Amino acid sequence: MLEPVMYTGGVYKHNQMVELVEDLGGYILQKNVMQTEVVLLMLVPINDMAIVEEKAKELLGKVTRAPLTGTEIATVAPTLAYHHLPHLDCDVAEFLRKQGSKTNMVGLARGVGKRICQLTAYERDLINEHDLAVFILGNYEHCIIEKSKRLYEGIEIPIVVTGAPELRTEDVPNATAYVGNFGRILHHMRHSEELRTLDKLAEVIGAVFDNVRKEIAKDPPSVAPPRIKKEIEEQVQEIIDSLHPLPITLQMNGVRVKLPYEEYHEQIENIRFVEGVTMKEVARVLPSKMRNFILIRALPKSETGFVI
Amino acid sequence: MEQLETFIVESPDTVGAKTTKVLIQDTLADLSLNRVIGRLKVFVDPVEPVFIFTALLRLGTPAIRLKDFAKVEMGSLGKDEVRIELQREAHTVKLLNKLWEKYGKDNIEQPDKKIIVVKTDPIKEVDVLRELVIEEPQAEVLDRLIDAVALRIIPEGFRVRKHELSTSHILFVASEDTLKPEWIAKAKEMLESMRREEENA
Repeated sequence: MLEPVMYTGGVYKHNQMVELVEDLGGYILQKNVMQTEVVLLMLVPINDMAIVEEKAKELLGKVTRAPLTGTEIATVAPTLAYHHLPHLDCDVAEFLRKQGSKTNMVGLARGVGKRICQLTAYERDLINEHDLAVFILGNYEHCIIEKSKRLYEGIEIPIVVTGAPELRTEDVPNATAYVGNFGRILHHMRHSEELRTLDKLAEVIGAVFDNVRKEIAKDPPSVAPPRIKKEIEEQVQEIIDSLHPLPITLQMNGVRVKLPYEEYHEQIENIRFVEGVTMKEVARVLPSKMRNFILIRALPKSETGFVI
Repeated sequence: MEQLETFIVESPDTVGAKTTKVLIQDTLADLSLNRVIGRLKVFVDPVEPVFIFTALLRLGTPAIRLKDFAKVEMGSLGKDEVRIELQREAHTVKLLNKLWEKYGKDNIEQPDKKIIVVKTDPIKEVDVLRELVIEEPQAEVLDRLIDAVALRIIPEGFRVRKHELSTSHILFVASEDTLKPEWIAKAKEMLESMRREEENA
């Protein structure tokens, strides 16, 4: 199992860390150099964490767990109106992005009201393509509970709900977790208590992801998503020219490739791994609901019988 | 922020009332409407569901007309023109835009910084021009107020609405379902109570 961690330290000799992680069979997902400091988001094999921590100590850097790394989250607002944007939704999306996840904002067409809210089939399918959905709801307890009864119909991924009142997760129907102290806020969240609320949200989402990871580990994917990313980067040249943010977005159980499906799906299906298998033997290459992108879902070991 | 004389958000849901209060403060500050509203009372019951917004307004300056800042006279004898002599230049840009729109650019001349000549029939147009409205601060403020209340404050799902708007007050009743007469009565009562407070103050 791979552990998502963040390394912060000096630029000097940080290559040693990169090389160590790669040698251990881990992956470097993102590298940000800020003047003399470097931030690495990486996946490290859980059994080798001690070695990486040792190395970090030697380089006077710090390794922290970053459970949001390598995930794709949908932040869902009832609509794209002044009521929800720009402040609250963008704050949540940006904060989760800073924690290492890729966030996509979804504004529903008919998400308003507690009695009249609806989710269209397209929206449902689009949200289901993510690892987790954050529903950003409003101020009133009654509305949040009533709305939760019907709005999440058909969503199969974990759902985290935010709102103003402090409710227990059990009180919010169909939600995997609930985080209070949000509500409909029309200013930039920058006070210390508001930042603490955002921290709390990241923490809750991290805990949800840890549970999902444990579930996945019971029947691991035949190929690790970062491995799919690496092979595509090496074998499909056109991905370098893609101007989309994160042309290959990692998810917990696959990747999203931002190339047109019709033109590239065959090429991607036929990517060959050094172990001798092709992509279509270890993963399903599907058309994504987002534009005409490609969604790759790794097959579990129980289906293929092997892990590469 | 300048404090409103009355600013009450009532609701059976206390947490909701508190967040709604912050939300209203933010919106009014964003659209610089703090000085416009004198007293404000809001009632929210999410179970019913109903949202009532009432406020007494202080609108300040009325519309500005051309005669307020310029002398409008007939032009030189025998010529079909109106001569406008500006006393203040503050509104010149808006004035010129209005004149261009009305008479066409060809018919407007500005021989001097403070003098504008309009080529038109002076007998008919002098009085019209004197009363020409250049700026309507009140209307602008009301536009912003509607923007704040109808588009930002009232919960989006509350699509059934009744409103009253005048230069002295604003009243909004909104719900997801058909409006009940008692809600409207309650809204009027809230407005009345604020009026009484105003008189006694």
